[in-house]
Amino acid sequence: MMQKKVCMLGGFAVGKTSLVRRFVSNVFSDHYHTTIGVTVEKKSVTVDDRDVMLVLWDLYGEDEFQRVRDSYLRGSSGYILVMDGTRRATLDTALALQQTALRTVGAVPFISIINKADVRSEWEIDERAIEQLRERGWTVLFGSAKHGQGVEELFVTLATQIVHAAPIPRDCL
Amino acid sequence: MKSRPGNLALHNESLFNAVLSTLDIVMFECEEDSAEFRLQGLPPEWWRQWVGPANGTVLDLGQCSPFLRDYLVGAHPIWGGQLGAPEKSGPWTEPDRQGGTMTLEATALSIGSKKVLLIERLGSGFEEMGAIVQRARERMLAEERTAKSYRKTETRLISELEASERTKDDALALLQHLGLAALVLDERGHITFASDRGLEILGMTAEAVIGQEWEQALPLHKQDRAPIRELIDTASDPRKTCVVCIEGPRPRWVEIEVRGDPRHPDRHIVILHDRTELHTLRRALNEQASFHDLVGKSPAMLRTYQLVRDVAQVDSTVLIEGETGTGKELIARAIHSCSGRKHKPFIAANCAGLTDSILTSQLFGHKRGAFTGAVNDQQGLFEAAEGGTLFLDEIGDIPQQVQTALLRVLQEKEITRLGEAKPRKIDVRIVAATHHNLSEDVVRGSFRADLLYRIRIARVQLSPLRERREDIPLLAQSLLGQICTATGKTIERLNPDTLRLLMSHAWPGNVRELKSAIEFAVISCKTKEVLPIDLPPEIISAPVVPSSSVWIPLPNRDEKSRFLAALSDAKGNRTEAARRLGVSRATFYRRLVELDIDPR
Repeated sequence: MMQKKVCMLGGFAVGKTSLVRRFVSNVFSDHYHTTIGVTVEKKSVTVDDRDVMLVLWDLYGEDEFQRVRDSYLRGSSGYILVMDGTRRATLDTALALQQTALRTVGAVPFISIINKADVRSEWEIDERAIEQLRERGWTVLFGSAKHGQGVEELFVTLATQIVHAAPIPRDCL
Repeated sequence: MKSRPGNLALHNESLFNAVLSTLDIVMFECEEDSAEFRLQGLPPEWWRQWVGPANGTVLDLGQCSPFLRDYLVGAHPIWGGQLGAPEKSGPWTEPDRQGGTMTLEATALSIGSKKVLLIERLGSGFEEMGAIVQRARERMLAEERTAKSYRKTETRLISELEASERTKDDALALLQHLGLAALVLDERGHITFASDRGLEILGMTAEAVIGQEWEQALPLHKQDRAPIRELIDTASDPRKTCVVCIEGPRPRWVEIEVRGDPRHPDRHIVILHDRTELHTLRRALNEQASFHDLVGKSPAMLRTYQLVRDVAQVDSTVLIEGETGTGKELIARAIHSCSGRKHKPFIAANCAGLTDSILTSQLFGHKRGAFTGAVNDQQGLFEAAEGGTLFLDEIGDIPQQVQTALLRVLQEKEITRLGEAKPRKIDVRIVAATHHNLSEDVVRGSFRADLLYRIRIARVQLSPLRERREDIPLLAQSLLGQICTATGKTIERLNPDTLRLLMSHAWPGNVRELKSAIEFAVISCKTKEVLPIDLPPEIISAPVVPSSSVWIPLPNRDEKSRFLAALSDAKGNRTEAARRLGVSRATFYRRLVELDIDPR
């Protein structure tokens, strides 16, 4: 079976682990538990009738305490940028991490998701900011690890892009 | 699983295994020929739990953890022969074979030419570090939530403030549009707000007013502050107002209204109504009937009032001419009061019947010992009137010698006290009066012509009362009021017949005689109305003097009824009816037409 390494990137407490756990085990906990280092999980998806094993590298959230190691990113076939809609600063972190990923693994497929769609009224990331991300060529999904909204779609869409991936020129990003 | 001691194994195998067990690590050595990682010594228990019991002594990259595989295939400079510290993989967490998870960390190191891989299970130290990071991040999240809450509150407050500012701006715009003049006072009486119109009325800028205590900021007469203070103290009654004068180059008369601020009971809203125009009109209206202490609204008196205003504006010597009792001193006082000297003395001196020496001493003063009885130095009336006005009544009666001295004063603006040689400078305006015809006196040689020309620079000629009969009702009523006040009697009016008698009298003594007659009548009067019988006998019995053609309406009677009654009493004789009413025949006929009365 084809195995693809996928890294979960984003600021701390944006919901990377929650998205992975919702996807892999269909569970969710309101309790925040910070990730130290990397937690590796696996789950297979079907793309074009082919089973693809996604090896999900759930990296610790980046902040002033921990910077993402380039070595963790190496060998990734794609990555997911996670933002917390209720915290505008996580968008800036995602932008910085995307540049790090681009430098380290090149123009591999990636998808961004704005998590916590269940509390949309509290979002600080507004439509204008989302529009600007899309103008940069980003795929922006909305989702909620708490309710499961958009989670399956997130991983399947990325898996599909990885399977179908043709190299994307760097200057398009 | 039994490992095979490799090249790096200590000769004392039991010691080597004890070290590995104590450090709780698994050790692999990379074989040069096969590039396989071979287990060294005895692995700890957790290793078997992680890789499974079937795993051998060689690390199978195909079966091992994705993380470890990535780590091992990655470039490690230290294995390439470069010097440096051991390279750690960083912690990773993966499921173990028994359904749990395990957090491990790999280290690449080089011992001599040997490539060594250590795998450590992270235990309590790692958990403590994780707990610290967890707490730090939870605190950061809490602070973010707090900051967000503050931002929300700030945004809400800013929004409310903006709404409040908009409301305030709207209210201000409305206030300015309405032209409402208002001040707001705080609980200490300090002005916290002044509308544009309010500042305009006060003739002040916002900078000069805002923050100031109202009593100090507002340019008010001292006596005007008390009523405002009272209004502030009783602000619950909005019907109370007071009118005050705002001082300045252009004084304004302002009606003050004070209301309690509905939001703050201790604060007050002061509303200013500019009544200057009303005040000016009212004063002009009053001056139609009176001017200072002068009473009368006949054309002759109105001309006199204007003349007084005109001569008051200059500093020339004035000569007031008029029969005795026509109010010459009142005119002199009015000139003084309207002039720039009004705050200086007004001294009146009657020059009639005084000898040379007495008049000279009175006017110019004397030195002690200047004459018998001059026991002290004494200043004269000129010096007493310094800066003000000296009224010389009956100037036509002054002796020739005094005329000469007076001429010198007028020319040199200085006086010399009797008994002194040194003159003194004076600044006095002379207003003179006489009932004489001074021109005739000059012809007769009793008055110096040069003095006449000096004192008659401005002239005010007063008409005798008989030539302004229309002023008699007003004068009589005014005098009645004054005398009643002085005597304490309550007499409300003059009977029309009484007034008719007063108007038909010749009044050779002019207003002074009229006043005397009214005083007499007040003493005699027993009712609320002065009857003809109350008047002095010489007025009751005096022959009727033909009235002027000016029509004077009589008070308290319907005019048409009075005309009809007069015609009836005179049995249709229009001349007699006109006489009875005290008007001329021409006026009588004109009024008959205006009142639509058929005399037949």
